[in-house]
Amino acid sequence: MKRRRSGAWRFTALRVAALAGNTFKEAVRNRAFIGLMFLAGAFLAFSLVLSSLAVTGQGNRVLLDFGFFSISLFGVLIAIVMGAILLHKEIDKKTIFTIIPKPVHRFEVVLGKYFGMLAILIVEVGVLSVLWLGLLWLKGAPVTPEIGKALLLIFLEIVLITAVALMFSSFSRPVLTGILATGVFIVGRVVYLVGEMLTARGGLFVDHPGLRPFGEAVVRVVPDLRVFDGSQEVLLEIPIRGSYLVSATGYCMSYVLVLLALSVLLFQRRDFT
Amino acid sequence: MGEVDAVIEVEGLRKVFRGFKSLKVGPLPIPWGQRLRVEAVAGIDLTVRRGEIYGFLGPNGAGKTTTIKMLMGLIRPSAGVMRIFGGAPDEIETRARIGYLPEQPYFYDYLRPREILDFFGKLFLMPRAAREARIDELLPLVGLEDSQNKKLREFSKGMLQRIGIAGALLNEPDLVVLDEPLSGLDPIGRKELRDIIVAQRDLGRTVFFSSHILSDIEMICDKVAIIDHGVIRAVGTLAELLDSEHLEVEIIVRGVSQEILRDRFASVARVERIGEYSRLIVGEGQSNDALRVILELGGHVEGVVRRRESLEDLFVRSAERRGPAVGEEGA
Ligand SMILES: Nc1ncnc2c1ncn2[C@@H]1O[C@H](COP(=O)(O)OP(=O)(O)O)[C@@H](O)[C@H]1O
Ligand SMILES: [Mg+2]
Repeated sequence: MKRRRSGAWRFTALRVAALAGNTFKEAVRNRAFIGLMFLAGAFLAFSLVLSSLAVTGQGNRVLLDFGFFSISLFGVLIAIVMGAILLHKEIDKKTIFTIIPKPVHRFEVVLGKYFGMLAILIVEVGVLSVLWLGLLWLKGAPVTPEIGKALLLIFLEIVLITAVALMFSSFSRPVLTGILATGVFIVGRVVYLVGEMLTARGGLFVDHPGLRPFGEAVVRVVPDLRVFDGSQEVLLEIPIRGSYLVSATGYCMSYVLVLLALSVLLFQRRDFT
Repeated sequence: MGEVDAVIEVEGLRKVFRGFKSLKVGPLPIPWGQRLRVEAVAGIDLTVRRGEIYGFLGPNGAGKTTTIKMLMGLIRPSAGVMRIFGGAPDEIETRARIGYLPEQPYFYDYLRPREILDFFGKLFLMPRAAREARIDELLPLVGLEDSQNKKLREFSKGMLQRIGIAGALLNEPDLVVLDEPLSGLDPIGRKELRDIIVAQRDLGRTVFFSSHILSDIEMICDKVAIIDHGVIRAVGTLAELLDSEHLEVEIIVRGVSQEILRDRFASVARVERIGEYSRLIVGEGQSNDALRVILELGGHVEGVVRRRESLEDLFVRSAERRGPAVGEEGA
């Protein structure tokens, strides 16, 4: 019995890998994706220009700041665009008709899409990071392990946002998915402010107590993306501890698991007509 | 092994599509006004036996694709029972034995023929060597060995159909389900498809296919079902359905207008136009009366032919009638 179970999981892994591989191929052969990659590269190169214009001594700071900003921005952008488009396209172009009747579980289809997107994002973040670290090194800025850790945190944020986009795309159309996922991203970046406002003695929630439950719900549901921002630590040369990385990973994973479970539930019930 | 002889069993299968007619405003479909309720499949029974070539025929919108999609797990039935190989259609083990060609085979257009078949093969958990061997076998079979290096976005509709057929045969399925396999194919393609289907049956496989157009392909069917408005109108072997009971007489007439003919023969005959002539098709017993009426109307009878009903006639007759279904499911 136990052997059969582990066999089943192996089969699931093989099928998810096949589905993810196909998703990866789709993105890599897509001009929009390649275009975004180039744009991100150009953005990074632009930071060189900016840093040379900066006040003496601030050049490296600009390089660092801008690098974190562009890698995270383009990562999130690509995650949202792919999340919005890839699953929807599969249904819209009816290619899903050839997949669902195959001996695959529906949850494997969702996981395949997700892991395929992650694979693309690993490549994207990896390429941009190498490019950026190269620039830093060329400019003689210190390349520290903290930068690597901060990049890892950025990647965790992208992993989470990808799951958010996938969840929305399992019931809505691309533009709406894009809007909703971007909304979660933006709110997630500032949700700690909402938390602070809730405990404040004055301000919005005191003036309008009716909004309180809404604010509380937002704080409870929306991920606090500040968790994944290590740029200040790098700039201020504060070490990022291993235990922090572990807890940030746990925070990310708990969201991802819930979001994937929701996506599967929503996808499971769908008619493909 | 105790496997039942019936490969597909369907009882009381129904699908009602519900929803709102939606008006798309930007990204948001806004439900408006009228509710939508379409009974696409209105409680049908089907039995497809092992080794049969089964034709599932009917006009556009009859409910063929909806039925097939329910069998393939793409759509949830509103009611009814489905079994494939005696088990639930959505079990992995069942699906591993099915090959399916969707209605309009849309494929990943960024892939090449080999790549897409290889991807499907992986989903069937076929080992690499088996995938390659099978693809080497299938590409020439469907006539695509010369187009291997093109991406699918450069393929014509007929070529995509061929890839779809290869995809449906990839896993050497015990049951091949083809939704409108003729569409997009030229006459040569149809002939080849017919040979492929017969070859599948000769290997002991079961083939279930739908079609809204009639061509020679129906002649290879061991059994056909005719569906219209979600209801099965006729089931049987071609010999049973086209039996002598339906002998007809075709009368070619000139000199009487279509309208008058249609008016006079509304209940007993079909009237078709062929250039300046009209063709009346009446039941065998009614030919004398029909000829008398035509002569009274001042028409010229140019020819009278006794003929056996064609499948096309049956098709039209079944689609037109709203009464009880003809033919019986053989026990
Ligand atoms: N998603 C849907 N929503 C509403 N009606 C549908 C949907 N899909 C199909 N139908 C309707 O169901 C009927 C049967 O369609 P279909 O099964 O595609 O017919 P066929 O394949 O025989 O041409 C048609 O009237 C069609 O308009
Ligand atoms: Mg159809």
